[in-house]
This record gives sequence, C-alpha cells and structure tokens, in this order.
Amino acid sequence: MLLSEINRNNLKNPGDLIMSTEALTPAPTRVSQYGVDPKVITKRAAELEGITGISLSQLISDLPETIYPSKKGIEAIREHTTKALDKVDFSKITDGSTVNILASHHGFTFMGGQPYSEMLRTIKDIVESKTGAREVRLRAGLGMRFRETEEYIKAFGLDEYFNGKAVGMAPIDAGVEIDTKLGTLFGLKRAYDADFIIHAHNSDVREIHFHRQVDRAVKPFGMSYARCETRSTYHMNLGPRAANFVARAIFESEFVQKKFAFACFLVMSPAGAIDVDADTNLYSLNDRVTAGGMKHYGKIIELMGSIKECIVVLDFPCPVPYVFACGVIYANLVSANIDVFDLDQPLPPYTWYTETFYDDTGKPLLTDIPGVNPAIKAVVHNYAWIGYPSVFFAEQTPTIMVGEEQAELFDRDPMNQNYMKHALMAGDLDTAIAFAKKTTGTDKIIVFDGASGGLNVSHSLAEELKEIAPDVCARVDNVLLPKWLAQRNVDPKLLENIA
Amino acid sequence: MKIVEVQPQVDMSRCSGCKTCEMVCPVYAISVRRVDKKPVVDIDTDLCVGCWNCEQRCPDHAINMMPCAPFTISVDVSAYNYDEIAALCRKAHVHPKQLVCYCTATRAEEVAAAVIGGADSPDKVVRACGVGAGCGIECNQPILRFLEAANCSFERKKNSYQWYGRTVTAWDVPQEVKDTHPSFRFEDDKALLERVVNAPIRNKSK
Repeated sequence: MLLSEINRNNLKNPGDLIMSTEALTPAPTRVSQYGVDPKVITKRAAELEGITGISLSQLISDLPETIYPSKKGIEAIREHTTKALDKVDFSKITDGSTVNILASHHGFTFMGGQPYSEMLRTIKDIVESKTGAREVRLRAGLGMRFRETEEYIKAFGLDEYFNGKAVGMAPIDAGVEIDTKLGTLFGLKRAYDADFIIHAHNSDVREIHFHRQVDRAVKPFGMSYARCETRSTYHMNLGPRAANFVARAIFESEFVQKKFAFACFLVMSPAGAIDVDADTNLYSLNDRVTAGGMKHYGKIIELMGSIKECIVVLDFPCPVPYVFACGVIYANLVSANIDVFDLDQPLPPYTWYTETFYDDTGKPLLTDIPGVNPAIKAVVHNYAWIGYPSVFFAEQTPTIMVGEEQAELFDRDPMNQNYMKHALMAGDLDTAIAFAKKTTGTDKIIVFDGASGGLNVSHSLAEELKEIAPDVCARVDNVLLPKWLAQRNVDPKLLENIA
Repeated sequence: MKIVEVQPQVDMSRCSGCKTCEMVCPVYAISVRRVDKKPVVDIDTDLCVGCWNCEQRCPDHAINMMPCAPFTISVDVSAYNYDEIAALCRKAHVHPKQLVCYCTATRAEEVAAAVIGGADSPDKVVRACGVGAGCGIECNQPILRFLEAANCSFERKKNSYQWYGRTVTAWDVPQEVKDTHPSFRFEDDKALLERVVNAPIRNKSK
C-alpha cells in the first residue's frame, strides 16, 4: 500500500516501519481551511526513493520509554493523567464552581492529536467526579489561524464531550484588563470567565527560538490566553529574552492567581509522550518542564545543528516553521547553527525580533545578527499550511513549492502575500527534489513529516547522523546541559526525578 | 504594502446580526444594523483591507472572502521629509528600516510617513499603509507606539475589539522588576534594541 493511501486511512500506529520503502510512516495529512485538500498531496516525502527511517534510539540512547505510542494505546494517557491528578488538591473547586480548562492548539499537533484530546477529556471527568462541578468548559487558545482550534474541537468530538461548552479563542476576541507588575496587560475574556482555570498544556520545547526555555510552562498566559496587545508586547516591545517575563507578569497577577487551580501537562520527549505531570504550583512544574525539556530535546537539536548540509522537505499539516521531525520543529533547525538554549546568545537566527532586524536591502541592521542555518541548502515545500507569516523562510533559503494549488493558497493568505515571490514552483515532488539536488550538489535530505519515534532522511544523512550522534550526546551531557541548567537556576538534581 | 485581492461578502441567510464582524474589523469598514428586526450588514469596500478578520471570527460562518479587483495600500515615503520620518521612528524606538508588519512587509518608515501624513488613529494607520492587514496581532503595539510618539490623541470605540491600549516597552520596565528578576536580562535586551534603533540607515528612501 502506498503511504499516501495509508495516510488517508488515518494510520493507527504512526511510526510503524513501512518495509517497502524502509521509511517511517509520516503523520497523516489533515483536512483544514489552512491547508490544501489532502487529495492534492499525491506523494509524501517518505515515498521518495532513497528515503529511510532512522529511529531515535539509534541516535540517542537514554530517551525514556514512551507512554504513547505504546502497547496500551490511548488508555495510557487516561491512566497517567488520572495518576498525576491524584496528587492535586481540588479543595477550592466546589460543586457550584465554574471551571475553564484552558488548552492550546499546539497540543493537538502531536501524534495526530488524540493524546492531548484524551488528557483534556480526562481532566474534565476527574474535576467533575472529585468536585461535583458541572460547569466545566473547554477554552482552546490558538496562534494565528483563528479557526484552528474549532477544527480540532470538531475533529476530536470535544464539543459533544464538553456538552456544547468547548470554544476556540482568538487574540482579537473580547479582552480583559489585567493589572500586572509590568502595568496593564490584556487577557482573553473568555479564558477567564469562570471561577477557576486549569492550565492544560504540553512540555515539548517547540518555539525555543521565542521562549528560550525560560518559563516554558508559563508562556501560554502571555500567548494562547492573551489578547493581541499582549502578544505584540512579547514579540515587539521588550526584546528576545526579556519578553518571557510577560507571561510571568500575567500569571502572578492577583486576577489570575485568584482563579488558578492547577496545571496539567502532557510531558513530551522527541519520541512521544512520556508522562503526564500536574501541580498546583506552576513554578515547580515549570522547573521540571525546563530541566526535562533541555535533557530530552537538547541532544536532537544539537544533532540537527551538527548537520553540515541538507535539503529540507516540509511535509506536515502545520505552518512552515511548525512542521515536525522527531519531535522538533523546522524553526529549530533554522536556528540550530547557534546554541539556542544558551542565554548568553541574545538572538537566535530566527525569531520575530531577528526578522524585523533585516532592512529592505535584505541585510541585517547589525553585523552581529546571526544568519539562518547555512546547512539548509534548499527547502522543498511539499505540504505545509498558511496562517503564519512565513516569507522570512523563503527569503533566506531557496524554496521550491510543490503544486500550483498550494502556491495559490499562499498567494491568497493575508499573512503570506510575498511568500511565492521568493519561491520557485515545481509540478511535483520528484521534480522539486531532483532540482534541489542538482542545484545544491547535496543528496542529504531531511524530512519534516511528523513521523513518530524517529525521522525520515536520505541514506547519506542517516549514516552521517549515526556517526556524529555519540559525540554530540556526550557534549550535551557533559558540557552544555550543566551550563543551560545553571543559566536558569535549575538544580541539576531535579533531573534524577524526571522521567 | 498590502495587496488587497479579496473582500468579504455576507450570506444573509446565515447572519444572526451579532456584530462580531463589526467589532473585529481593524478599519471600521463593517457596520451591522437592524431593519424590521432583521440584520443588515453594510461593508465599505473602499475602506476594507481584506484582512479576513470578519470571516475568521463570524460565529455563523456567514462571511465568504470573494475575489475583488486587486488594489494596493501603501505610502509613498519619498513624498515626506526623511529626517522627520527617521526622528519619529526613533522616538517610537524603532529603526526606520525595521520591519513592523511581517505579513505585509510594511517597514517603520512607511508607518511613520502615514502618521506624518495625517493618520492619527490606529484604523487610519492601517488604511494608509497596510500595516495590520495581515495577522492583525503582532504590529498592534508598534502602531500605538507611533501614534503616541506623534502625540496623537484618539479614543477607543466602545464595545469594539480592534485595540485596547499601549503596553510596556523595554524603555519603561519598572526598575523593581529589573532588580528582582535579573535572569530575564531586561537591560541586555534593551541595549540590543537600542543598538538596532540607532543603526545607520542604508538605502534612504528618497
């Protein structure tokens, strides 16, 4: 069976090896107003000749066992969420309380979205059973695609599960003033229109170029649950590291503290979900997320940064910077030529601050602004969504768009009116890859297709990664991780108790 | 520069008259009224910047974005005194060539020219140079910073979601916050932003 056919049938075991091609099964395409009709994607990169799957265990030896994917299936998520919530104090929520479970779109992009959805369902069930509360709602924040969480709510039946009380929230919806240590900031009214809030999130490092693994667990208070004023403050007003105080300022406000009940996180590693963690003390959970994120993701990001040259294939149902390979996003590779965990580095090669610092000659305004990862020789855009300003990527790296339909979609997008001005177009994936290989002179290909448990690469890159992985892992363990922890005042002993 | 290629069309059989579209339109191009208890939606296509906010937030899914005769929204920076533009940019703490809107590639000099040219409220700035006609999120604060730097006074329309107010910048973080949270590197980041703001200007627009 062709992988594309399997995708359309919604694979139950993502990560299964497809023996005919030796590639890992990519994440399925998804019907969305932000992407082309999946029928248009006639070939996935995993189907290309010479692409092979390499499992994470071949590269990194000390990743913990995953609870999902696992033999237990989705039941493992319910089991671990229940166990995590056993230690949480529910006493302030009573049977007459209104409760908002606050979610974010990113959680739905893991492993097809079911694990995060199941964690949300379980939180609801347990809150109701432990407190008697009947007014438990889901409020799902999002990035820039204002209907994205509506799509997930529908796809995973969450509206029915929450008795018609599941809604998406956009940053241009009605706001609420929040008095903080930084002055007035603005949250989303619907996030806070309950007696209590439960912060339901995920721990993967994802946008490390923005948050720098500083207050990772707190960030949604300045983003998913916030108005555009607050988001603009984060991305435009304070600077690349100081901006992370925005979320902390909101979280510590009297307004939020009165409502905050607890946080519940799907704990991730590049291989999948490894646990569920919950705490009434968000900063305790934040320390665990901070340390665990650096331990579990530091090696794969450092490994990506050690790649000398490659062609990237975008092939996942998310906007350009958010497409996944072995648990990390394309934007991580774009910035992997510097150590983005190192807080002494002011600017990653890609952040929105960095992007604004290029003038109309195409040059950075300061000579010390780092350029994007020069190892990325070309990008083949086989499948990625609109709804995120992505022109920077096409400006900085030769980009080949596959298919006219997708090019038209980008041309229509108000956030990407210039993307295709900088991209070439190919009629099909094979032509795009052949052109990229010919013009760059490399046969090393890395595919961002969300394959679970590993990544799809060309044989040549697989060999290179296997060869360099031991040294990279040793460098992270012995040199980098201690430095990263010290910069964040996180006790290294914490790692002993982390999955 | 914003290229407008689509504008909204309302399917009145679906519209409930909730006014969400009116409240999220960045340029006040939509107004909803009732005639004989039925909703009537007026769209000023001369004002509309094709941002999709109304289509994306309509709870009734009553709005479709339809192709229109394409037109561009931009400011001719060369028509203004560049020293004045640069001075206003730097007062707003941005470099004149700095990007302000990722979606429309609008630069600070264009926003400054729009304000100097008479755009004295956020909606007028959007309509004058196209900034804010993409995601409608990230350029929110720079627009307000420019208007404040130009001493423009304007009031927020009641019951609307276009904008709420200016927030903190690197230049007005309370000292107590800086002192008690040194790991956030407020001063280092402010110094970086100041270096950018004061960087030389290449390719001055004429």
